[in-house]
Amino acid sequence: MNPGYELPLDEAAYSFGFLDEYAKREVRRAILKAVSIPGYQTPYASREMPMGRGFGTGGLQLTLSLIGPGDTLKVIDQGSDDSVNAVNLRHFVELTCPGVDTAERTAEATLIQSRHRIPEAPLTEEQLLVLQVPYPDPLVVVEPSEGKRKIMHGEGDYSRLLTKLYEDIVQFDEITISHRYPTRINGHYVIDPSPIPRYDVPRLHQSRALILFGAGREKRIYAVPPYTVAEPLAFEDVPFRTEDFREEHGNRRACARCGAKDSFLDEIILDGGEKTYQCSDSDYCNQQLAMRSAAVEASA
Amino acid sequence: MPELQTPAADTQGWMPLTQQRVFRQLMNAFAYPGRIEPLCPGADAQGALTRILATLLDGEVSLADLDAQVSPLGWARLEVRRDVPERSNFVLARGDRAPDFQPRLGTLESPEGGATVLVRVGALGRGGELRLSGPGIRGERRMAVTGLDPAWIEARSQWNGAFPMGVDLILVDDRQLAALPRTTRIHTEGAR
Repeated sequence: MNPGYELPLDEAAYSFGFLDEYAKREVRRAILKAVSIPGYQTPYASREMPMGRGFGTGGLQLTLSLIGPGDTLKVIDQGSDDSVNAVNLRHFVELTCPGVDTAERTAEATLIQSRHRIPEAPLTEEQLLVLQVPYPDPLVVVEPSEGKRKIMHGEGDYSRLLTKLYEDIVQFDEITISHRYPTRINGHYVIDPSPIPRYDVPRLHQSRALILFGAGREKRIYAVPPYTVAEPLAFEDVPFRTEDFREEHGNRRACARCGAKDSFLDEIILDGGEKTYQCSDSDYCNQQLAMRSAAVEASA
Repeated sequence: MPELQTPAADTQGWMPLTQQRVFRQLMNAFAYPGRIEPLCPGADAQGALTRILATLLDGEVSLADLDAQVSPLGWARLEVRRDVPERSNFVLARGDRAPDFQPRLGTLESPEGGATVLVRVGALGRGGELRLSGPGIRGERRMAVTGLDPAWIEARSQWNGAFPMGVDLILVDDRQLAALPRTTRIHTEGAR
């Protein structure tokens, strides 16, 4: 958002949550159908938002249609609460939704909007995860016609996608998709789970929290309901695997900041060209750091 | 149908913030099928139904009111288009009468065209139990309901025979709601 831009709240009399009630109602109807048909990309009329498409307008429209006084919102971008996209979206919600709290701690949030990560801390049934989606349709790489893709989705026909994965194995000996890994929901629809790393894909399976996906530019909403089967596409002899964080001696790398060995790590290249690794989830990293210093104090 | 006409009637259902809360309850009901959601305090018998209708309906969609549960003033306020059940996005019916209509099921390409059927039941949380399983349910959940003719269960399983096509049910009593999306499987145990 332009820093000089101010919403003329008083004069314009914007509704709670910026969107008008008709827009919210339409998004809400689409959400109910998306939950009823797990993984199906439900079309909706994506509204113009005061930020460019591609900056999370799909996730934001979901959040604004869901949120109410009493909710606590957390917004993360690549795991961090403090990156530009997250700060701007959080600021926008603070401006337009009086009575809503914001938080950085995952456990405090009732509603989490995220770009490219699922929080490390396990979610609960009382929480709701909204993911921002740039490209909702996993079939777009194998079929240019949307009409045909919709038929393929309806029939659960993903043979061409599997062929694409097979070609990867032939050429590179492994499936080379690093993020947006195609995942089959409840045995029928295959979704693009948004650009989350492979590490996060197993968290879609039997999640306690409802997970909603919003693609603003592509005008689609889809969902992975709680306690639902989510299987990444794979072959019997080439199973799905997540990122490998082991160093050359086979030991799991630890976060350079908090020492955690059970989190998704970002590779950071220092000035001297050396590599170091840090938790991608900044809240998780802070929690680990706090626990560690509490433990040090207790033993002292 | 005095609910929407008396001046003292509960008007909360028409307020945006009430609709936000009701929507979250509806969404939770769909995400966790068979879980009974108590509607916000203050909803009287017709108020519960009004809240759900006001949350979901506007001029963009159509409603078939099979048993005249919506008053003329309610129709005016909802702005919803009136249509026959075979063409409507939403159908409102009484659960104690067997369904004798064919709702929209959507198409293979666009299954979201399948209708949402609101069924007014006697009471949720009492009476014969339905055993439910499917997405949103860990293992199995039991939901008790009265005032739901067994013919509904039979009709629903026919409508939902060819996933992804099908209909989604919202059950509502005087002050609570529960949902049965098309993915939920029902194993009956003498529901009355």
